[in-house]
Amino acid sequence: MKKSFIAFWRRNLAFSELAIVSNLEYRFNFVIDAFVQPLITVGIELLLWIAIFKTTEATLIGGFGKEAYLAYGVWAPFLGRIAVSWMYESMMVEEVSSGSINVILARPISFYEYYLSQMMGYKFITTVLSLLAPLSVSYFFHLPIHYDRIPLALLLVFYYLFLIHTLSFVISTFAFFLTRVRSLTLVKNLTLWLLAGELVPIDLMPETLSKILLLSPFPSGVYIPVAYMTGRVDINMISQGFLSVSISILVSCLIGHWLWKKGLEEYTGTGA
Amino acid sequence: MSFVIKTENLGREYKTYQKKEGVINSIKGFWNREYTSKAALKNVSLEIESGQIVGLVGANGAGKTTLLKILSGLIYPTTGTVRVLGFEPWKRETDYLRQMSVLLGQKNQLWWDISARDSYALLAKIYDLDLIQAKKRVTDLAEMLNCHHVLDTQLRRLSLGERMKMEIIGSLLHSPKVLFLDEPTIGLDILAQTTIRDFLEVYVNEFKPAIILTSHYMDDIAQLADRLLLISKGEMVYDGTVDRFSQTTETSKKLIYRYKNDHAERELVFQNSELSEKLNEVVKSGEVVELKIEEVDFEEVIHRFLAKESRI
Repeated sequence: MKKSFIAFWRRNLAFSELAIVSNLEYRFNFVIDAFVQPLITVGIELLLWIAIFKTTEATLIGGFGKEAYLAYGVWAPFLGRIAVSWMYESMMVEEVSSGSINVILARPISFYEYYLSQMMGYKFITTVLSLLAPLSVSYFFHLPIHYDRIPLALLLVFYYLFLIHTLSFVISTFAFFLTRVRSLTLVKNLTLWLLAGELVPIDLMPETLSKILLLSPFPSGVYIPVAYMTGRVDINMISQGFLSVSISILVSCLIGHWLWKKGLEEYTGTGA
Repeated sequence: MSFVIKTENLGREYKTYQKKEGVINSIKGFWNREYTSKAALKNVSLEIESGQIVGLVGANGAGKTTLLKILSGLIYPTTGTVRVLGFEPWKRETDYLRQMSVLLGQKNQLWWDISARDSYALLAKIYDLDLIQAKKRVTDLAEMLNCHHVLDTQLRRLSLGERMKMEIIGSLLHSPKVLFLDEPTIGLDILAQTTIRDFLEVYVNEFKPAIILTSHYMDDIAQLADRLLLISKGEMVYDGTVDRFSQTTETSKKLIYRYKNDHAERELVFQNSELSEKLNEVVKSGEVVELKIEEVDFEEVIHRFLAKESRI
């Protein structure tokens, strides 16, 4: 038991390390993905909120001032960047549709575990390297951030990543049956982007919609952690986030497992 | 006798969408698609012992790769039973996957962006091997393949031949008891082909794994295989030794001759018993200035045999 536990961690840490080494190899792509893309999104969000406050001439929107929204505009794209998995989902889908998954199937590793560890490794390194940007902006512009709440907020985002990966796994199993599922990936990720509250804080949405969304796991990727860091919500909302993400992971794992089994029965090993 | 691979009436069907020509048919196909079933493998029964190298030969689409995919657990069989090392491969149990290896000659199985040595370290963790033992095994195998100098180079910077040597080391790192080699020498130059062939010969003599080898280079089969399986249209059409195959096939000699004032050499393939008759025919048709009789090479024998089978 102890031996298999050690083997599990040894193997998965090696996958994480592989992701870090492989991604750092392509420096240009890494810089764009880890820094330029979130900076552009932060820029868009900040301009949007500055324009809203300027045109409405309001001092408070939804009970919060301009600084609170600027803080949201800095941190929401940063966490939103962590809480998606475009790159690894595309790779997983491609593995199934091209048949290169054969290499994984023929080895004593699980497809789910292999990509989960790689994604976590990549997310960890990009988070560590790019965290300085929102921290320094918040500090220099005196944005209303509870710095002591950042670790727990980040923990929720990383926990949410398990759900995101499981959803990517489910999408990739569709490739067994349909081969090309790029449009599904696009629709799913855009929907999650909206439901997570990256563009607009969930508490600004109509009350009924806001209540329903907060019961779902998706705001745990962006809205809940940012709202917690900026003081819009308290620890109870974080607990609710952990609970709804846990339930969703369980349900999506069951669906993914069933689709995976059916998919392998359909699989023809194309390209081998 | 215990067999490491045993199949009975193994079969696999593929369902294929019949895509008709043109835009109109593509639009119709949006809601109404016609599928046909094609048997890629039919009633294949096999028994393979440990330490045996089996050459699996057939034309493109004959079912070779389908058979390898079923045996290695990549796909499910539609009919029949299969046991490899006592396991049903399609269940992909960890204990089975730890004891077998597949090398797909046209696919990279090591990691593109890291060095081969880093890939082996990762494989050692995947297979839960002792890291020191694994390093020693890499050194030994690299010496046998004479490729020690490229172990620290990224895979994507290696030549095809070097890459294939790296892939072979990767597939043997965990000392598999069963090894499936699909076109291991494809696209390689003569020197690299010979090195890999010689290496496999020595390796099998020393470690005695069971190997199923497919190749389009008949020299691979002729040099390495103890046993030959010929597959045509999903069915086994020959199962026996390479020597027996060469002896029993009809076309076993080749007459090469040249007529006076004719610069081109001509060839005539015939059965042993037809020698006098064919010689007479050749001599009657002109003044022969050069004549020699050669064994028909193995590749040609197989091609003729398969061509004949395909006509049935």
